[in-house]
Amino acid sequence: MWPGLFLQTLITGLSIGGIYALMAVGYSLVFSVLNFSNFAHGAVIMLGAYVGLALASKLSLSFGIVLAGSIAGAGLIAVLNEKLAYSSLRRRKAPSLYLMISAMGCAVFLENLVYATIGSRFYAFPEFFGRQVISIGGSSVSLLDVGAFLFALVAILGLHLFIKRTRTGIAIRAGVSDMTMCSLMGVDLDRLIAIVFLLAGGFAGVAGVFLGIKYLVYPTMGWVTNKAYIAAVIGGLGSLPGALAGGLILGVVETFVSSYISSVMRDVFSFSLLIAFLVWRPNGLWGTDSEEKV
Amino acid sequence: MKTPGKALLSVKGLTKDFGGIRAVDSFSFDVHEGSITGIIGPNGAGKTTVFNLVTGIYRPTAGSIFFEGEEMAGLRPDKIVRKGIARTFQNIRLFNRRTCLDNVLTPLLQRERCSFTGALFGTPGARRLERELHGRAIELLSALGLGKYASWQANTLPYGLQRKLEIARALATEPKLLLLDEPAAGMNPEETRALADLVAEVRWKFNVTMLLIEHHMDLVMKICTPIVVMNFGALLAAGTPDEVRENPEVVAAYLGKGKKTNECTSG
Repeated sequence: MWPGLFLQTLITGLSIGGIYALMAVGYSLVFSVLNFSNFAHGAVIMLGAYVGLALASKLSLSFGIVLAGSIAGAGLIAVLNEKLAYSSLRRRKAPSLYLMISAMGCAVFLENLVYATIGSRFYAFPEFFGRQVISIGGSSVSLLDVGAFLFALVAILGLHLFIKRTRTGIAIRAGVSDMTMCSLMGVDLDRLIAIVFLLAGGFAGVAGVFLGIKYLVYPTMGWVTNKAYIAAVIGGLGSLPGALAGGLILGVVETFVSSYISSVMRDVFSFSLLIAFLVWRPNGLWGTDSEEKV
Repeated sequence: MKTPGKALLSVKGLTKDFGGIRAVDSFSFDVHEGSITGIIGPNGAGKTTVFNLVTGIYRPTAGSIFFEGEEMAGLRPDKIVRKGIARTFQNIRLFNRRTCLDNVLTPLLQRERCSFTGALFGTPGARRLERELHGRAIELLSALGLGKYASWQANTLPYGLQRKLEIARALATEPKLLLLDEPAAGMNPEETRALADLVAEVRWKFNVTMLLIEHHMDLVMKICTPIVVMNFGALLAAGTPDEVRENPEVVAAYLGKGKKTNECTSG
């Protein structure tokens, strides 16, 4: 293996890993607060990508505005999703299995809604970065890859600071450990959960745009969140630094497997990794127990 | 109570059904401002359910809960706590993996309006507020003898101190009425006596009215007046410790009664 290819593979891996991390963070955040696996997260990512696509191809807006638009769009969709499909279950203190089933229903519904209205065509984003490459250590890597990685890093760091420092962030952490107690501290739970979904949806929007640019936009593109679940498990479900590290590790390892072994082996390897973690280290690399998560 | 203040909390005809079970049955009582009112009653009498109704965790099936003359029944817990009712739990519910300081800071922060970006980037204003709240948290912890445990993780504290931390955290919401659910549960007689002193001290220091559920009779008799007795979800008796102690129905509820006496007792 010559160093140029190695570095290129590493950076591609980090970029994919960054996108996995963006997806995993939103998924993890909802999991840690409401304790259920939000399978509709992938559909929100997909819708975020469509929002971005519409802004970019119909209105020919610049990349920054497209990104902001899909963050807002996906964030609102996630909040709406919670209000319509989860909030009444939550208020009646339904077991988390019910929420999970509702989430699956939402995922299938939203996908089919897109099939029925927009259609099953695959769309490509207009070229934002062209084939722009930058040269790092003698090998050329695409600007998109570097940008996606750096953006993911900054966004997740920002979220981390938000959770650690702000009043709302501290309320989220309190809610993670005990929702009822959190409301007895004067926290409006409906508002808090709306904020959690807004954040998760915002991150889904970013992931959707990057995925759409890197690959294509189509109704089932959200299922790539399976990889985000793996990333979240590797890092420790509910841990934000864990989701970041898990995403990056998975992205890098996957890319190395597909470029040095075989691309057919990539997903076999990823899911074996998931099973291995669940068997030997179910709390992941950074997870503690289920009590305190974010 | 020798000099009854006005009723701070006034519960009227409170009823709660769980399916076919009537846990609280048109229960009425008052808590006067400045009092330490005790609720006693056999296990399953519905005491904790009353707490859950008053704090908004459950919605009443029927009845009213007036706090400072304002209807609380049906309000959300966060609204009620902001009106000035705080509580502790029978089974301690702390934010276990956070420090004692963080536990008390959580409610303190929720009362403040702090700027989002300020907190995120640590502006001077945000830092000042943080220092101020930090100071208040330490004061509260110290008032309950937890000053030196500020940096301890909550679940590593000994049991008795966890109870105190729960009281400190409830006080951080700046309540007018504090509900304590079996504060002496699991304590030995010596610890129970110390708790009695603490409760009395907290009442004066924080100028807070208290309503407490307790099974340690010596504690209740020593610090509570009046005492409200519940049985099968309904009011059985209310009065001073002596009145309650001598009430034959109360004695019967606690010690059981023969069938004959039961028939003789007028409803």
